[in-house]
Amino acid sequence: MSMLEGRYFYPNAARFVPARASVVPKRILQIEDENGDVLAQVLGRQVKITARLASLLRRFDLPDGGRFETADNDGADALIWALRKRRRGRFADRLERAWPIAGLSLLITLFAGYYFMAQALPVAAEWLARKTLPAVAHTMSEQTLMALDRFAVTPTKLTAAEQFKATKLFMRVAAHARGGPGAYRLVFRGGGRMGPNAFALPDGTIVMTDPLWALIKNDAEIEGVFAHEMSHVDHAHGLQRVYEASLIPAALAIFTGDISQISQMAAILPGVIAQSAYSRGFEQQADDDGAATLRSMGEKPSHMADLLERMDKTICGKQACPASWIGDHPQTAARAARLRLEDFGPIVTGEDCRAPWRTGISLHCLGIVTH
Amino acid sequence: MPDMQSWEQQVAAPTTHNVEFRGRGREYFRIWIVNIALTLLTLGIYSAWAKVRTQRYFYGNTFVAGHSFEYHASAWRILLGRAIALALFAGYSLSVIVVPVSFSLWLLVLGAALPWLANSSIRFNARNTSWRNVRFNFNASYFEAFIAYVVWSVAAIALFFLIPYTRRVHDYFYVNHHRFGGRGFSTEFSAGRIYAIYLFGFIVIVGFLVVVLGLAAGVMVAETRLHEYTKYLQIPGVSLDYGVIVFSLFGLGAAFVTTFVTTMVTNLTISNTSIEGGHRLSSRAAPLRVAWIVLSNTALTLLTLGLYYPFARIRLARYRMGKYALIANGDLDDFTSEALETQSAIGQEIAGFFDFGFGL
Repeated sequence: MSMLEGRYFYPNAARFVPARASVVPKRILQIEDENGDVLAQVLGRQVKITARLASLLRRFDLPDGGRFETADNDGADALIWALRKRRRGRFADRLERAWPIAGLSLLITLFAGYYFMAQALPVAAEWLARKTLPAVAHTMSEQTLMALDRFAVTPTKLTAAEQFKATKLFMRVAAHARGGPGAYRLVFRGGGRMGPNAFALPDGTIVMTDPLWALIKNDAEIEGVFAHEMSHVDHAHGLQRVYEASLIPAALAIFTGDISQISQMAAILPGVIAQSAYSRGFEQQADDDGAATLRSMGEKPSHMADLLERMDKTICGKQACPASWIGDHPQTAARAARLRLEDFGPIVTGEDCRAPWRTGISLHCLGIVTH
Repeated sequence: MPDMQSWEQQVAAPTTHNVEFRGRGREYFRIWIVNIALTLLTLGIYSAWAKVRTQRYFYGNTFVAGHSFEYHASAWRILLGRAIALALFAGYSLSVIVVPVSFSLWLLVLGAALPWLANSSIRFNARNTSWRNVRFNFNASYFEAFIAYVVWSVAAIALFFLIPYTRRVHDYFYVNHHRFGGRGFSTEFSAGRIYAIYLFGFIVIVGFLVVVLGLAAGVMVAETRLHEYTKYLQIPGVSLDYGVIVFSLFGLGAAFVTTFVTTMVTNLTISNTSIEGGHRLSSRAAPLRVAWIVLSNTALTLLTLGLYYPFARIRLARYRMGKYALIANGDLDDFTSEALETQSAIGQEIAGFFDFGFGL
């Protein structure tokens, strides 16, 4: 057994001398100074040796607070072997040393990341959304509506007659929708900052703004909007988005270790892309369901397309809306075209943004719009 | 062996030992990616070992006067701490979703627990750090931590002009309760100096705001004029929202100023720190350089979808650590460890889970 060169620190002290370590019979670790005078003799099993990591110094902690340290990692491994001790960290160290393993790890990480984003996350969010208690969904909706009232919308200016007419149409659609008449509630708000719009809250509350009502030329148009929003309620799309938004950072924090400044910022990008892809999937699903409801009522889904295009013009002026990099709604033209096709029956083929692993990821699903 | 100068000579001429960071990006990249893969394959359990190996890598590659730091925490303790923190966090999330009112209750619990979290988190790190076989230590009472982290933080939230002063309170708390080998650290500097730094940062950010908004207004006017000529042409392309641009520019400016101010405050605190026995510390990082490294690191990390992250950490540590120094007054041999009992990682992991950073 050769000598291991290093330094010996006196018990609990910063004072040290150059020293050598070796194994003497009966698995005893012996440390001696340069002159061969013995500094310490310790039973092998009482020595704590740090796990091998990169080219860090290897530490032998002795029970009395003394310490031997060496830069010779291979020599230290041989000495541990001679002491018949476990060489802790050897496996991890071997993995960390090899570039092929790093490549493999990268593949595993990319695959896991993709699997998480594309499969595990939507499934988990959907499961959580389904398990969410109605009371919770109600509280969330109330709070959202309160926030909107304070910052984004104004009280409605529709007359009682108009409200009555809208509610009648709403109930007619609800009777044909999945949840039935009891599942949804229509409330009216002025436009405020939102302009012509309608949106669904998790507890079945559907909000319609006055400017949207003003745009309607045909009952079937607003019925299409109601059917679309009811689909969002049926599938708990709103809750799913909330869960997806909170699960992404949580997963990143757990798997990449500590989330620090840089990784936090880098974590935003996949989150935004995924969210946008999911929301596109939600919109498409709501469009498809809305079209089906309209057809079951004997109306044409293409009315929804007309209204969509009119909303676009009102919001963006005479020209088409500027394409946005990552927008919330799929490009209006594409949605309208698809809705017009729905006149002839349900669309069975085509991409499904909710299941990119089946149809592949398209630019459209990622929210990247090209003119 | 230490040089053979006489004791008097050493007192007369303190020796400056620059801190040196020897980690390498390629080496750490492999450690990082293997850590992530193993954490994924073990469904998160390996994360405790990953943390220990990462910490050991960074500590073990930081050298002062020829000796590296050491990180001693046990992965099992960290795993236990994480499990408890996770359970608490799940309980918190669930109760807030089911009974939103409970949020205020949690806030109260958190406020009461905060001093304990701060103490145990800083202490865990200190006691698990050593240099030359001598351990660091941190000792502060619940009451002291309560004053520093609860009372002063609340005061700073209420009265924004107290922010610099509160920062000094936090730094004093952090530094002045640290010990190495039984000898205390202490830092002291005038409040005026920390106010000067914050004032400077404030002026920079206001100036930046004015420039960005002015530019945005200018661009908008130019765009409107341009639009009159081009509205009949169908120009393909992607148009961006000005709000988004202004917002991200402002975010960039804020990140820049934050890094700038933090670096200057750290320089101030550390450069005024002494250790019993006449040793001193110094920190001379150039704030502009640090801000540049942080921002370019972020950009490169985003562009490489996270792959640059390990290189970014090494790059920052290499610069940042290299600017610290220990000005030793005499022999560094006569430090000896205090007797310390090991302690649990629970507080530290809870603090980590709720994203509290205690430190400089």
